[in-house]
Amino acid sequence: MRDNMRDQVNEAMNRREFFGRGAAGAGLALAGTAGLRLGLGKGFAAESAFALDASRLGKTDPKLIRYEEVARFSCPDAAPSRLAIGADQRLYLASSKQVSVLSLTGELLRAIPVSSPARCVALGAEGEIYAGLRDHVEVFSSKGQRVASWESPGPRTWLSGLACGGNDIFAADSGSRTILRYDRTGKLQGRLGRKDAARSVPGLVAPSPYLDVEMGRDGLLRVSNFGRHAVETYTADGDLEMSWGKPSAGIEGFCGCCNPVAITLLPNGKYVTCEKGLPRVKVFSERGEFECVVAGVESFPENARSGAPSRGLDCTLGGLDVAVDAEGLVYVLDLVAENIRVLKEKA
Amino acid sequence: MAETSGNSSQPGTNRRQFLRDSARVFALTGIGGLLGVIGTRSTAKGYVWQIDPRKCVRCGNCATHCVLEQSAVKCVHSYAMCGYCQLCTGYFEPEPNGLNTGAENCQCPTAAIQRTFVEDPYYEYTIDEDLCIGCAKCVEGCTRFGNGSLYLQVRHDRCVNCNECAISKVCAGDAFVRVPADQPYLLKTTH
Repeated sequence: MRDNMRDQVNEAMNRREFFGRGAAGAGLALAGTAGLRLGLGKGFAAESAFALDASRLGKTDPKLIRYEEVARFSCPDAAPSRLAIGADQRLYLASSKQVSVLSLTGELLRAIPVSSPARCVALGAEGEIYAGLRDHVEVFSSKGQRVASWESPGPRTWLSGLACGGNDIFAADSGSRTILRYDRTGKLQGRLGRKDAARSVPGLVAPSPYLDVEMGRDGLLRVSNFGRHAVETYTADGDLEMSWGKPSAGIEGFCGCCNPVAITLLPNGKYVTCEKGLPRVKVFSERGEFECVVAGVESFPENARSGAPSRGLDCTLGGLDVAVDAEGLVYVLDLVAENIRVLKEKA
Repeated sequence: MAETSGNSSQPGTNRRQFLRDSARVFALTGIGGLLGVIGTRSTAKGYVWQIDPRKCVRCGNCATHCVLEQSAVKCVHSYAMCGYCQLCTGYFEPEPNGLNTGAENCQCPTAAIQRTFVEDPYYEYTIDEDLCIGCAKCVEGCTRFGNGSLYLQVRHDRCVNCNECAISKVCAGDAFVRVPADQPYLLKTTH
């Protein structure tokens, strides 16, 4: 009788155990299946025989980095596109709803509303503010009052850079692949950069809206002919004086389909360039020889991922812009992270 | 009495009516169900598989998991978005020795991209679908470093429209969707 009872108890316990172990097993099986599915999903891309391995391009030799970050601040408005520093040593930031005037420490001093997204900005000799909207230029007083809205030069116009020099305002038009030369009243004086074999001008190539222009202290215009991976120097009349740059994913060249997307000049006349795809900021000599890295790909992790699979974006939605103050500090605008980094040359 | 007989005959008529009505209801339900089944089946035939290019993560599974010997997924090209670049990052390896059609410079494993000179410095890139295996290597290069004009689509002159697409089961980005057969492509026209 006792044996029978023991058998029954054992049988009851076995059943319980059976159900318990069964449930645990089913749970483990489910978890295993889910894990396998997740692993396949993420792992396959990395293990694919067809994977494009660009990881080695994201590493910068630390010896080449001669700048260090000393400050960083967020942009006050969404979708920033271009940055400029005026003679008043203030930052002017073009973005979706406004042109923001900031102190060099990032404090918002004034917000000048614009009717459509501002894509570029430049400062005149008397402090007037030129804002490039998609297809035309708007002029504001130094106090932020709109004083003029210039006529659009054409339906294909896509302004992406502005520079002032003397009585001229130069607007980089990615749509027509030319630099528009205006006088201060907004009258179109001419176009630079058109293909002209007689003047040995190869023509500007702009596969995406990043054509940039910068006025040097020598009165010559610097243009990022980024579809040719080159930086070109023009006179105000459109004569090509100099061209340098080469396509390369290596640090001494310009990577991807079209770079550099932004240029500026240091007080000593050297160039600072920005690239997209592999977001990096570099210094080149007046002759276009590579000198050093201001900030490598590692400095812009969010920007570097702009074309990554998980983002669902492409390279045309990333990019950087740059400006330099009188002290030689480099201000880098990250279009993806929507912040500005201040970098100083290491002692 | 007349009222009583009248009342007694009334329930008999009601029963008959009830049975007749019930039969009608059953018949209508059956016809409705049949129509529903037919309708659902015809709707299922009205959909095909497609890749949402915004979700595609260029994992390479399209090349290896299609039931066809050569995948029905092909790279397609949005010419309106293309920069016609001399250095096409979909065509060339990240660090090519030279910008020419040498095999060592090209990243397509089957040489399915044709590079044609247009005018200085523009080149046109065309996909040879007979060679393309849908591996997305060019799509990755174009999206990461270029304009993103190359992308993958299921080509319906080849796809056999399996009920359960073998690629969709392993798609790393859940980019496979069912779309109406009369609008079978999800084309990229802008960024």
